Amino acid sequence: MIASLRADTLKARKRTANWILVGILLAWLILLSYVLDYFIFKHPPPGFRSEVPPSVLIRIVFPENVIPTVLSVLGTIGAAVMLIMGALSTASEYGWSTVQTILVQKPGRGAVLGGKIVNLALTSLIVTLVLFLAAAAASLVLAGVDGRAAQLPAASDLVRGFGAAWLVLGVYTALGMTLGVVFRSTAAAIGGGLTYVFVVETVIGRLLGNTGGIKEILKFLPGTAVHGVTETFPFSPTAISRGSGGGPALISGTRGLITLGVYLLAFIAISLLVFSRRDVGA
Amino acid sequence: MTDNYVIETRGLSKRYARDVLAVDGLELRVRQGEVYGFLGPNGAGKTTTLRMLSGLLHPTSGSATVVGQPPGSPAGLAKLGAMVETPAFYPYLSGRDNLRVMARYTRAAASRIETVLQQVDLSDRARHKFKTYSTGMKQRLGVAAALLKDPELLILDEPTSGLDPQGTVEMRTLIRGIAREGRTVLLSSHLLNEVEQTCDRVGVIVKGHLVAEGTIDELRGRGGLILRASPVDRARTVLGQLGAASVQVKDGRFTLDVDPAQAAVINRRLVEAGVDVSELRESERSLEDVFLQLTEDGGRGKA
Repeated sequence: MIASLRADTLKARKRTANWILVGILLAWLILLSYVLDYFIFKHPPPGFRSEVPPSVLIRIVFPENVIPTVLSVLGTIGAAVMLIMGALSTASEYGWSTVQTILVQKPGRGAVLGGKIVNLALTSLIVTLVLFLAAAAASLVLAGVDGRAAQLPAASDLVRGFGAAWLVLGVYTALGMTLGVVFRSTAAAIGGGLTYVFVVETVIGRLLGNTGGIKEILKFLPGTAVHGVTETFPFSPTAISRGSGGGPALISGTRGLITLGVYLLAFIAISLLVFSRRDVGA
Repeated sequence: MTDNYVIETRGLSKRYARDVLAVDGLELRVRQGEVYGFLGPNGAGKTTTLRMLSGLLHPTSGSATVVGQPPGSPAGLAKLGAMVETPAFYPYLSGRDNLRVMARYTRAAASRIETVLQQVDLSDRARHKFKTYSTGMKQRLGVAAALLKDPELLILDEPTSGLDPQGTVEMRTLIRGIAREGRTVLLSSHLLNEVEQTCDRVGVIVKGHLVAEGTIDELRGRGGLILRASPVDRARTVLGQLGAASVQVKDGRFTLDVDPAQAAVINRRLVEAGVDVSELRESERSLEDVFLQLTEDGGRGKA
């Protein structure tokens, strides 16, 4: 599997699309979650209304809120970007027919996909690290510009938050990878995945989330789990809210972590099963 | 491996859907060190067979060993280089980087990359992206990737497909060179000329069955004689007295199914009987004749 991991790392590193995706996520975080919010809360536009005054809301962009700010982008744009990256890593192999080229090399099918899974896990780890570093840097700069004291969260909270963020990104990367293996088409995997994230989880969740039956189903979906996990890292002060799911979380943070862990394992198991058994080129 | 067979299949079959039997009870044996031509019309089951031997497809029934291992096993793949159908590589990577990726998968030494690039004469373009390559260059990169592992067995599926005449000649030369290194080559093709010029032995597959197997000469079988003589009626009478097994006459030209060694005797008897002989030569049955005969009846007849 080490051989496959080394091969996949080379492919991923040389692929421009991956760098563009990370760039989009990073730009989204810095420009929208930090720079734009800072200017809006610093100079509220006419008609700006909020239960919490802008002078308090502006603390979103300061270092003490690095964890909830990073987590708030993961359920939406973060999920989309990592889903696309996961889908590209497997679906493209079918699109270019390179899957048959690599499967006639030395490693078995399990090792080939195993290398891909480890590479994606490392990629999501690096992306998480980059997001946290970028968020910390942006918040420190803005705090300095605003003349505020820079106070990052406690190290233990940072570790917990980092782990939660890695898990969230890992689940959506694994979802994309699985859709790529199942559909064997980049367009179908990305289209299906994004439709699920933005239509099924976000729109239906917000429009019909309070309907009894649907509410119970939503409790088992990854988006709800992400919301539950995100809510365990509240903004400071807690009056500020910018959660990814809108409204209060339907499940606790612990149940959210367990749900995400189950989804992660399930996606990996499905991918391995399908990839190992299905004919290539039939 | 059994009796030095590098590839051996026993009743290998592949059914795609309920009514599509692509390969039907195939019994294929490829000996060590030979270039084996796997010949058949389009849709005969060649690529499906090669995919099964490479571990890309799971057989519906039957079994196979490839270099002594089950198809697709890491131990077997370590000794197998394969290019099945169109060479497929990462378009955003250069030829050299594509080989680097494959070398990492196979744990091949980095020095092998330059060796195989030189072997397929692609060193000058190795830094360019795969998506800019011509068909011939893609085919050569496919062969280079197959050679990276320094394999005992090379499976090549229609390696001259899409090549211009010069590229075809270069590819044939390359394959013969590979065979001279002592490797076994299984070469699939529907181009008779290619097989005739490249292969030691040939197997013909029609509708999933192996309908003939042997050297080119064995498949052609014994030739006969072509004779042009007049008057035709007197010649026919003499030939009948000589006991020629089959005599066909068309436009004054006789096609005789006899041992070509009898040419001198036949010539003397015809001349003695007052028949003018203007042409007498050995007829050769081409591989194309054999192939057409085998494929016309859907594989029911044997050559």
